[in-house]
Amino acid sequence: MKNKIMTRMGDGARVELSAEQVKEDILTGTQDAADRGKIPELNSDDLEQLFDIFADTNRIVAVKPGEEVITTDDGAAMTLVGDQADGGVALPLSMMQSVLTFERVCCADTAGIGHTDYSCKPVKPIVNYEKQKYYTLNQVTTIPLMYGMQPNLGQYFQPDGPFPNPSELLPSGKIKEAREAQEEAAEQLRNDLVFVAKSLYEAGCDGFNFDTAASTGDADFLAALEAIRELKKTTPDMAIELGMSSEFVLGLHGDITFDGVRLAGLYPHDQLKMAESVGADIFGPAINVKATKSTPWNLARAVTFVKETVKVADIPVHPNVGMGVCGLPMYESPPIDCTTRAAKALVEIGKADGL
Amino acid sequence: MEKTEWFKKAAQSILDTDDDAAKEIAQKSLEDGIDPLEMINQGFTEGIRKMGDLFDRGEVFLPGLLIASEAMTTAVAILEDALPDDKKKEKLGVIVIGTVEGDIHDIGKGIIVTMLRVHGYDVHDLGRDIPIEKFVTKAKELNADVVGSSAMMTTTQLGQKKLEDALKEAGLRDKVKTMVGGAVATDHWAKRIGADFFGETPQDTIDKLEKFLN
Amino acid sequence: MSVAHIMAAGMGGIRTAGDLVAWMQLTQRMKITEAKEYVAQKLGVNVIDLVDEELMHQVRQDLNIATLPMIADGATGMVAKCRIAELLGIELNSVNKFKSQLDFSK
Repeated sequence: MKNKIMTRMGDGARVELSAEQVKEDILTGTQDAADRGKIPELNSDDLEQLFDIFADTNRIVAVKPGEEVITTDDGAAMTLVGDQADGGVALPLSMMQSVLTFERVCCADTAGIGHTDYSCKPVKPIVNYEKQKYYTLNQVTTIPLMYGMQPNLGQYFQPDGPFPNPSELLPSGKIKEAREAQEEAAEQLRNDLVFVAKSLYEAGCDGFNFDTAASTGDADFLAALEAIRELKKTTPDMAIELGMSSEFVLGLHGDITFDGVRLAGLYPHDQLKMAESVGADIFGPAINVKATKSTPWNLARAVTFVKETVKVADIPVHPNVGMGVCGLPMYESPPIDCTTRAAKALVEIGKADGL
Repeated sequence: MEKTEWFKKAAQSILDTDDDAAKEIAQKSLEDGIDPLEMINQGFTEGIRKMGDLFDRGEVFLPGLLIASEAMTTAVAILEDALPDDKKKEKLGVIVIGTVEGDIHDIGKGIIVTMLRVHGYDVHDLGRDIPIEKFVTKAKELNADVVGSSAMMTTTQLGQKKLEDALKEAGLRDKVKTMVGGAVATDHWAKRIGADFFGETPQDTIDKLEKFLN
Repeated sequence: MSVAHIMAAGMGGIRTAGDLVAWMQLTQRMKITEAKEYVAQKLGVNVIDLVDEELMHQVRQDLNIATLPMIADGATGMVAKCRIAELLGIELNSVNKFKSQLDFSK
C-alpha cells in the first residue's frame, strides 16, 4: 500500500506505519522526553526533518557532506575477534590485526580496546598484561587508540566482591546497611579505576573510556566522577570519555551527592554538567529505548535529549548508539535502516559532535 | 469525610513514604465506616502505582520505593484484618522468579519482586545465577501460576528459551504463565521463545500480569 | 554496526582527516566545528576538503602522516603520530612517552 513507511519497533521487528502515524510517534516521542527531562520539545523544523529521515525510501541514509562527525566506540575493534557476548563476529584474528583492520579497512576515526570482560575489577590483577597490550598496539596505530572499561560497581558486591549486596539488604528493609555497602564499594571502585587508568597512562595511553557508567546506580556514577577528577589532576594529558548507561541515573542509594548535587535522577543534560565539572573531555549520553514503541518514537526521544545536552555542553558530545540505546532497536544486529537513520538524526538534528 | 478524600489521603501517604500516616489512615478510615477493600484498591494501590510510575521516571529512588512498599504492606494488613473471612483478599497468584544461570545481574529483578509483592502476589525469589532445573522444581513444588526469568545479556538470555523447553518437558508449561525480563528482553524475544509476555518495566509487568491471570 | 555509523556519519579516519579532528576533540575538548576549522587551517585546506578522499590522500602523502591506501615506506603508527602532534601543535601522551624512551640521557 502506498503512503506507508517501513520502519521498526524498538525490538527490531519490521513494521509499516502510515505517514500520519510516524508523525504522531515522533511528536509523542519528543513530548515524552521533554516531559521526563523537563527540557524543550523538538521544534517544528526538527520534527519535519526527522519525519523526512524516516520517509526516505532508501534502505540506508547518511549525513550531508560537510556534516560528518568523529566516531569513538566502546572497544569496537574487539567485536571482530569476540563472539556473540560482545556482539562480535569471531574472526580468528589477533588484536593487532583487528585494530588495524578497524583503522585501515573500516576507516574509523578512533579505535578502542579493553579487557574481554570489559569491567574494572577483573583488569586490576592483570593490569600489566593490559599495559603491554595497549603499548604494543599503540605503536602501530595512527588513529587515537582508547582503552575502555565499565566501572561496573555490581562486581564489588557479594558473592563476586567483598561488600554486602544491596540487592539482598534492601528487600529485607536494611536501607542504612545497603547504603553503607554502596558507599564503601564506591570508594574501592574509585581507587581501582584510578589505579588501572594510571597504569595505562604509564603505557602511553592517549584516551581512557569510562563506558556504561552508573550501570549500578548513583554510587557507581559517584566512583566514576571522583576517579575522573583525580585522573585529570595527575594524568591531564590522557583524554577521558565518560559514557553513560541509561538516560537517568538510577537511585539505588538515592542520597548520594557530588559537589552538592544529588546524582540519582539526573538526566543527560545534567549528567553532562557533572562530567564537565570533573574534567571529562568527551561525554556520551545513553538514551533508553522502549522495545514496545516504534523507532520514530524512540529516536525522537533520543534526539530531544541529545539536542538539549549538546546545547548546554562545552565539551564534545558523542551519543552512545549501540544496541538498545539512542533510538537503535534492542536487537543484537541492529538493523542498518535504523542504525543509519539514528546516526543522521542525532548528528543533523541533535547536533552531536560525534557518535 | 467523603470516601474519595480517604482514598486520596491513603495514596498520598504512600507517595510521602509515611509509614505512620498510612497506618493511621487505614485505622481511621475503618472507624469512619469506609469499605476496607475499596481503601486498598482505590486508595493505597493507587498510591503505589503512582510511586511505580515516578520510579520509572527517575523521580523516586529505590530506598523510597521500598519504604513506600513497607507502608503499603502495613496499611493493607490493617485493612485486610477488618475484612470478613469470605472477602479476605487472596494472593493474586504464586510467582516463581529468578535470574537465569550464568547471569549475576539481579538489581532489576529485585525491583520487580518488590513491586509484585506489594501488589499482592506471592513471590518466591530464587535469586540470581539459577539453574533451569531449580525454576522447574520450585514451580512444581509451589504449584506456581507464573514463572518469571530475568537475563541481562544476549548470551545468558538463551537460558530463558531453555526454561520454556524445560517447563514443557516437565509437563508444566500449560499450567503456568511465563514472563521474561531483563535489559535485552523484548516482545519479539518473548514471542520467539514462546513465553507468554515480556515485562518492560515494573508497572508494565504488573499490568500485563493482571491481564494474563484474569 | 560501528561500520554503519562510520559510513553514515563518520569522517573516514586516515582515509581523510578523521583522526586529526579526533585528536583535537580528545586533547583540546573542541566541539566538532571548531576542531574541523582548526585542522583545516593547519593543513591549509577548506573545511569541506577534510572529508575529500582525493585531496586528503595527496595532503597526507605530502605531510607523510599515513594514508589509505598505504604507502609501503610511508610513516604510520607511532612515527605518524609524532608527526601529527608536531603538525597540530598538540601534546600526545603516547608520543611523549615514545620520545622519552628514545632519549639516551635518561
